[in-house]
Amino acid sequence: MTATLQRPRPGGRLAVPSGRRAGRGRAVPLGLIAPALLFYAVVVLYPTVAGGLYAFTDWTGRAGAPDVVGLGNFAELLSSPPARAALANTLVIAVCTTVVQTVVGLALALALHSRLASRHVLRTLFFAPALLPPVIIGFLWQYVLTPEGPLNGALAAAGLDGLAGNWLGDSALALWAVIAVIIWQNAGLTMVIYLAGLQGVPAELLEAAEIDGASRWQRLRHVTLPMLLPATTIATSLTLIGSLKLFDQVYVMTGGGPGYATETLSVVMYEEAFVSGRYGYSAAIALVLTMIVFALALVQMWGLRRYEVQP
Amino acid sequence: MSRSSVARPLTPRPLASRVTAALVAAVALTSCGFVNTDDERSAGAVTAYVNTEQNTGLAPLVEAYRQATGAGVDVSSANTDELNQQIRVQLTSGTAADVIRVSPGYSSPVAAGVLGAEGQIADLSDAEWAGQLSPDTRALAGVGGRVMALPVARNAIVMAYNRDVFANAGLTPPTTWSQLLTACRTLRDAGVTPIAAPFQGGIYLQYWVYALAATLVYAPQPDIDAQMAAGATSFSTDARWNEVFARFAELNESGCFSDGMLGLPPDQGQQSVATGGSAMLLTVSGGLPALHGYHEAGAQAFDVFALPATDDTTQTHVPVAPDFLAVNAAAKDPAAARAFLDFLARPENVAAYANAMGVLPGLAVDVEIDSTVLTPVLPYVEEGRTTAYANYLWPNGDVQQTLLQSGQEWLHGAIDTATLLGRMDADYAKGTP
Repeated sequence: MTATLQRPRPGGRLAVPSGRRAGRGRAVPLGLIAPALLFYAVVVLYPTVAGGLYAFTDWTGRAGAPDVVGLGNFAELLSSPPARAALANTLVIAVCTTVVQTVVGLALALALHSRLASRHVLRTLFFAPALLPPVIIGFLWQYVLTPEGPLNGALAAAGLDGLAGNWLGDSALALWAVIAVIIWQNAGLTMVIYLAGLQGVPAELLEAAEIDGASRWQRLRHVTLPMLLPATTIATSLTLIGSLKLFDQVYVMTGGGPGYATETLSVVMYEEAFVSGRYGYSAAIALVLTMIVFALALVQMWGLRRYEVQP
Repeated sequence: MSRSSVARPLTPRPLASRVTAALVAAVALTSCGFVNTDDERSAGAVTAYVNTEQNTGLAPLVEAYRQATGAGVDVSSANTDELNQQIRVQLTSGTAADVIRVSPGYSSPVAAGVLGAEGQIADLSDAEWAGQLSPDTRALAGVGGRVMALPVARNAIVMAYNRDVFANAGLTPPTTWSQLLTACRTLRDAGVTPIAAPFQGGIYLQYWVYALAATLVYAPQPDIDAQMAAGATSFSTDARWNEVFARFAELNESGCFSDGMLGLPPDQGQQSVATGGSAMLLTVSGGLPALHGYHEAGAQAFDVFALPATDDTTQTHVPVAPDFLAVNAAAKDPAAARAFLDFLARPENVAAYANAMGVLPGLAVDVEIDSTVLTPVLPYVEEGRTTAYANYLWPNGDVQQTLLQSGQEWLHGAIDTATLLGRMDADYAKGTP
């Protein structure tokens, strides 16, 4: 079946209905989207704005108007050792997860974008963890990583007792264990994004490069990777945003501990609101987290899109 | 070439289709729990939102109440952490149940003292049972001397131990601190972890502080919190509080606790005692049924004793804390909610709850307790050698939260005792919100 697209006249304007028919034409779509807009305003816009305003109050969840504390909540966030530790942990998780997960996902995609007979099975296996709820992943790995758990058991069975560790109970290891679990779960998702990107790399470009004498590494470096930059933008953006607001796995696996070793901004935000009842302070953390996510995502997308190549 | 389709005129759906769709939606919503059926929810019944332990103990009493009065009680439950988080929001939004579980003192945003001061829960001071609260329970049951909550039970912090492991090591329950250290050495030499220490999350870590403080701090100095509130002393400067952490550290340095304790979750700690990998576990009595559940012999496989903190057996005290129910001040039918609490406060029902749960009776009434689970610590209760859990006497929940988290850092050696106590002092100084 073919379709014919009609080009607009050069320099011309789009033909729009005029008069009463035009007015009715605009009113109908507005009438149709009004309920959705109203729903969006009530469910998303109002709570978002209200949450932003609560960030400047000492609201504790009680009925009645809270007192305005100005920038007090933000000052506390920057001066409180636990909050600063959470901020640092959040940034470490975001950077490590984004970099390592992207590299691992790309490597898996390149390895499985081949004529390997088992590639479909392997793709499914690597992607499967991304389909499981993060809470389930957290509980599973919490068990695997306990001192007497399967991981240390396997290391001992392999004669590698020296590598066994108190993965979630040692402050020096816990954050890295959490990061490893997150990458394990989500690397398959990055792989799928890159596999989709690899489908869009024109075979003729690779063939031309090969005819010109380019080695495999040179074809990857100068043809494939530049063509994958749009996929990289998507993969890193999703990973960065997801890791900055990371909550489930950390809360289930460590609860932010031992001590404050794996505390993240999302966990502190949750604890301050729902454990300590400090909703105003929690809203301030949420506002800061939102601004961090927005700023980093913007910088990252701007930086990567400058180098994107369209096939 | 694509397959062409013939457009059909839009016609109203047949009535049967609409009825079917409505039925499917109704069944789906009901099965997903969005809609309560008549079987699940009695019209006009009192609603209650309690923790899972209370739910177990209340179930037979709710049925007895229905038979006695014809009135129903719809009970929902969640674990205590979730419950505390949700009730605060529900009270603010006006959707809280008529009867709710509240924490003792000022220990959380949904504690009896906090909600009582805000007027979120009803004043129950004129109830008949209000005169049957023991003094330490009364102090945690409300605010300004008013009773705002019914103690359905009292939990104690006790040391549970595996009888077979003790018998195989030739041990009897230690009654002094020195005996406890000796028992640890004996068990360690026998290849058994002396004390399971599931300190991941910090919940079990805090029991040690409360149990040691009962004997070392609160027994000799019952008014210490008044002194701390007045600024006369503090965690950092009080020698007894420092002694608590010195004892705790001594046990740790003596190898009494599980290896990798900060990475050990509570359920695995309980299992290790049940399987004999560890000998003892310091726990709340409300957690004993879960421990017993890990052994095929159940409660028969275990026993308990009071944790000694000195070499003077007469000094040993047991931390005891009430488990409260309160009436929402905005309950649809406050009289009905209060009638249900009055029913629970009858001596026979106090006894029934305590026997069903293996806990101490909530009210100081003369009842027959069949359960032998807590028999070894009953003399302490009868002699008044009990204190409240320390955190219930603190002015806010942040002190406890700091103990949970900074306590893990302290055990790991990342901070010293002075730093830990200094942080707790800083939170204590915030006072009651």
